[in-house]
Amino acid sequence: MSMEKRVKYKSSVKDRGTLGSLKISEVMLLFVPNDPKSDLKLKVQTHNIKSQKYTKQGSNKPPWLNLTNKQGRSHIFEFENYPDMHACRDFITKALAKCDEESNKSVVSTPSEQLSMAEFELRFKLLRENSELQKLHKQFVESKVLTEDEFWSTRKKLLGKYSIRKSKQQMGLKSMMVSGIKPSSDGRTNRVTFTLTSEIIFQIFAEKPAVRQAFIDYVPKKMTEKDFWTKYFRAEYLYSTKNTAEAAEDEELAVFLKPDEILAREARQKMRRVDPTLDMDADQGDDYTHLMDHGIQRDGTNDAVEPQNDQHRRSLLQDLNRHAAVVLEGRCIDVESEETRIVAEALTRAKQVSKANQERLERMSRAAEMEDLQAPQNFPLAPLSIKDPRDYFESQQGNVLSEPRGARASKRNVYEAYGLLKESILEIRMTGLSDPLVKPEVSFEVFSSLTRTISTAKNIIGKNPRESFLDRLPKSTKDEVIHHWTSIQELLRHFWSSYPITTTYLNTKVAKLKDAMSNTYSLLDAMKQSVQSDLRHQVSLLVRSMQQALDAAFQHYESDLQRRTAKIA
Amino acid sequence: MIFKIEDVTVYFPYDNIYPEQYEYMVELKRALDAKGHCLLEMPTGTGKTIALLSLITSYRLSRPDSPIKLVYCTRTVHEMEKTLGELKLLHDYQVRHLGAQAMILAIGLSSRKNLCVNTKVLAAENRDSVDAACRKRTASWVRALSTENPNVELCDYFENYEKAADNALLPPGVYTLEDLRAFGKNRGWCPYFLARHMVQFANVIVYSYQYLLDPKVAGIISKELQKESVVVFDEAHNIDNVCIEALSVSVRRVTLEGANRNLNKIRQEIDRFKATDAGRLRAEYNRLVEGLALRGDLSGSDQWLANPALPHDILKEAVPGNIRRAEHFVHVLRRLLQYLGVRLDTENVEKESPVSFVSSLNSQAGIEQKTLKFCYDRLQSLMLTLEITDTDEFLPIQTVCDFATLVGTYARGFSIIIEPYDERMPHIPDPILQLSCHDASLAIKPVFDRFQSVVITSGTLSPIDLYPRLLSFTPVVSRSFKMSMTRDCICPMVLTRGSDQLPVSTKFDMRSDPGVVRNYGKLLVEMVSIVPDGVVCFFVSYSYMDGIIATWNETGILKEIMQQKLVFIETQDVVETTLALDNYRRACDCGRGAVFFSVARGKVAEGIDFDRHYGRLVVMYGVPFQYTLSKILRARLEYLHDTFQIKEGDFLTFDALRQAAQCVGRVIRSKADYGMMIFADKRYSRHDKRSKLPGWILSHLRDAHLNLSTDMAIHIAREFLRKMAQPYDKAGTMGRKTLLTQEDLEKMAETGVQDMAY
Repeated sequence: MSMEKRVKYKSSVKDRGTLGSLKISEVMLLFVPNDPKSDLKLKVQTHNIKSQKYTKQGSNKPPWLNLTNKQGRSHIFEFENYPDMHACRDFITKALAKCDEESNKSVVSTPSEQLSMAEFELRFKLLRENSELQKLHKQFVESKVLTEDEFWSTRKKLLGKYSIRKSKQQMGLKSMMVSGIKPSSDGRTNRVTFTLTSEIIFQIFAEKPAVRQAFIDYVPKKMTEKDFWTKYFRAEYLYSTKNTAEAAEDEELAVFLKPDEILAREARQKMRRVDPTLDMDADQGDDYTHLMDHGIQRDGTNDAVEPQNDQHRRSLLQDLNRHAAVVLEGRCIDVESEETRIVAEALTRAKQVSKANQERLERMSRAAEMEDLQAPQNFPLAPLSIKDPRDYFESQQGNVLSEPRGARASKRNVYEAYGLLKESILEIRMTGLSDPLVKPEVSFEVFSSLTRTISTAKNIIGKNPRESFLDRLPKSTKDEVIHHWTSIQELLRHFWSSYPITTTYLNTKVAKLKDAMSNTYSLLDAMKQSVQSDLRHQVSLLVRSMQQALDAAFQHYESDLQRRTAKIA
Repeated sequence: MIFKIEDVTVYFPYDNIYPEQYEYMVELKRALDAKGHCLLEMPTGTGKTIALLSLITSYRLSRPDSPIKLVYCTRTVHEMEKTLGELKLLHDYQVRHLGAQAMILAIGLSSRKNLCVNTKVLAAENRDSVDAACRKRTASWVRALSTENPNVELCDYFENYEKAADNALLPPGVYTLEDLRAFGKNRGWCPYFLARHMVQFANVIVYSYQYLLDPKVAGIISKELQKESVVVFDEAHNIDNVCIEALSVSVRRVTLEGANRNLNKIRQEIDRFKATDAGRLRAEYNRLVEGLALRGDLSGSDQWLANPALPHDILKEAVPGNIRRAEHFVHVLRRLLQYLGVRLDTENVEKESPVSFVSSLNSQAGIEQKTLKFCYDRLQSLMLTLEITDTDEFLPIQTVCDFATLVGTYARGFSIIIEPYDERMPHIPDPILQLSCHDASLAIKPVFDRFQSVVITSGTLSPIDLYPRLLSFTPVVSRSFKMSMTRDCICPMVLTRGSDQLPVSTKFDMRSDPGVVRNYGKLLVEMVSIVPDGVVCFFVSYSYMDGIIATWNETGILKEIMQQKLVFIETQDVVETTLALDNYRRACDCGRGAVFFSVARGKVAEGIDFDRHYGRLVVMYGVPFQYTLSKILRARLEYLHDTFQIKEGDFLTFDALRQAAQCVGRVIRSKADYGMMIFADKRYSRHDKRSKLPGWILSHLRDAHLNLSTDMAIHIAREFLRKMAQPYDKAGTMGRKTLLTQEDLEKMAETGVQDMAY
């Protein structure tokens, strides 16, 4: 994995800079100046980079990326455009994360890593979002059983993925057409009012490059932004009423109604990279019956369409296609600006059609194959960005609990809900169908208790008869059991991963863990004693497996200790 | 896998094979052995193309002493690319197993527009202007001129190609158009002329129908193909239409005006030549006296479209004396234009046979039939003599001469129809004089005569006995294959009513009924919310689609659809449609899914596949009948009735249903694929309509699915999709093998059991 970008390198802010290309690979950055005589070649090892800063998009500064190495020297790179810079930045961030991981692996004994502010914030955010994690963190880190880094090192994935994904995922566009914006009127006069949000403006600009260009040309030199939009909607209105004669007279109105030149140019560009198995334009260039007046004209297969006058060829169908294309493309710029002009300019810059020839050919050869006549191929899987289903159920449970009526309902269990349902079915049987079919209260009851059942079932991994028993426990006991289970898991994970013990650091860590585990062991015992006698058997069954796991750990600890002391002796 | 069919070892690039592919190969081999023509119908989604290619290439390998050539005709350029893609796969496999002896040369051939690499020529807008721009740089007289005048611009690619002369050859391999362009650019040779030159050496040629069927194109491109060629027409269900189109010409007012302008230009040129180079005109005259219509030694770059009449109908005699002199010929053409102008001035529809047209032309304008016949050749000769390169400017006069030649050559199977306006738009005067061919067998006859085997194949050739009659040939093999299904992976349904039980139809009196439009819309709204990935809708015509989408937009139905999926639409602008299709595919790829609106007789229905996730549901709105009041269609129906005793209604239904079947058939590509097909019109529930559908659809159309309302269809769709999501055994169950391995085939060969699958 590596990438190459054209940049200007500056050793300080004041420096005029040297043109050249920047090659980034996972291990190092390499700057090669365009001028071969210049000796400004630069090599930076990725693990040497301490931090990176960059200019915000939308500010009037050029896209700069400032890298500071561990010795405190800084290198500034000026990119040609923002997307380039962002791509590089992302790349370096990922490379850094990888470096971090590697260095952590190799030197576990030096746990006190310098934490960047961002990472700290991320951890804090994760803790805030996940109460379970927070509890564990509190229990172990604050009681010094585990250090901060030890705690997080088992959750690297969580941190890494989150940080990368969060920065990548962008909001999509609405599927509604721009022409669907309906004005509000005050009812008395003929005046109508359009409410434009930045999203709508973005969409108009993206779908109609001519309007975007007109905006850049006219505002604010010729008219104010408000005038511009008034004109725009007036043109749209005239277009919808097919009253285009008036528009043709007004030069500025005509701009909005002309066939879009920029769009046509873009289309030509895009045609070059479409899949050749879809390219119907190539047909038109091939088929000799389409020679003028050759072939059959009016046999009813070809459609008769009224010749439209050229100026207003724009049709609803074209608008629909254009709209869908824009929605599919999504927000291609990440400018969060209220300033319309900045949005317009950013869009103009972002509209560069990338060449994807290789990918196109690959896709074609894949399409030529018949999939079920050969052994299955394993295509790379794209990760789905789906939220944890538990979140949904938990939020549902929260809703039920927070409502005043729900407080009563939560006491009822599934059987009561079932009873209610049964009752109403009986009633239907006796009295026939009534309207509504099922009383709302009943259905609500059934629904909420079902949700709760599903959510609790989801909380525990696996399915065996013991779990259903969990529901019968008082909530406090249940929570306690679950909490113990998760904390034991956490401790055991750290415990087993510390073996074989090679350093003193690991030795002390294991000792600490063992203490914490024996602590939990006694807590489990205490809990077993405290529960009501009718539930005690079941709870002890639950607890037993946890204790067995802990016992195994203790045993290993003892034997290992013995072996090591014997060795020393 | 490698297996034997009788004495031929077949190299098939996959590990498994469908039983019907195997059967298909067996039948095809028999036809090749018998050196005869064949007609094979096999459902879409059973890998026809690859079966065909691998059998024919393997057949070639097994007969090294008499190598056959494969001429593969597709309807469109994108199908050509698809075929070449499959051939590449096959070729790689064969070379891997056999080494150098399996190497073949396969090329795709297209027009200058698609093959040119000269950026200045490509800047021209359409095909005709690209042709002209090319000719301006490559015509022999232009190149001769450039030796004296260095300012004359030539094409470097063509010059390099000419310099390389006979050394300009393509190394063996499979070349798509893109590959040809890349090769040409790399070597600095013109890919177009290189490809045309390679036609005689190539083992496989892939090009579109017109290159064989249209005499104008075939005359220059396919002239030198040897008899030992196998010609394949793939997706040939519309082949009769291509045939009659190839021989039809029409003349409009603009054509006449353009032709008059052309004549003025020609007149000026003649005068100029008379003043400066009178010898040249005299030389032409002498040549014509000797009976040579055309100089025999034309270089490739000078060739223009060939004679519109079929090769065996072209007279091999001297050009009549009255048009040998250039100015006399111009006079004759002027009179012809005048006469046509008068005929166009009619207020009523007129229908005439070529014979009576020619005789009235003779009596009123004094032009004889024989003169007419030679119009094309005479014009061609004149344009070469006058060294005219901007051929795109001279299209109108070319058209008129084509018309004259055809009308002078053919006495039957044609009719001339003059209409003052389009029937559907009577308020717009647009007079047109059409010479339309009714007999599809005319154009294809030379192909049947010339080549030893012609294979006509498609997914829908039902009723299969109709095609030999329409094209008048006798196939040695004519078979329709069934599809052996591993599971019921297609689900055809006939929807006759909306949820409100009102009938739906695109019958003329019902189609604009708001109830029908609403019910059609609601059907789609419901469907897009339950069907994953791609949904395709076909409408009966552009104008109907335009109207219905506008209504859906006003009533908010479109908005509801867009909440579920993105909407892409086929328009009459091919560039826009291509981009819409490309976007549609990308939308399906990214998992969001989309809806594509298309037209049953449009460009998309003709050759774009909506396989796999690109199409899980096809809705066919209405029955795609032709516009039955069309005069030309009427004339054709009459002809069919008189010559083949085919009833009008039968032919119309046959034509509409093959169109519909073609549309819905595009969803299936393999047996692992699945898709639903909804025929949304009450007329499909009638037996006489439905029974014209191909067997592989009918066999899945259950009685319970013949008369559905929207809500019932939704229910069935849900069930079907759930069933399709379950895992299944690909090899087939219960003794019915639907996927054969090498072992199975060997066992079959031993026991001689042929019909294991059925």
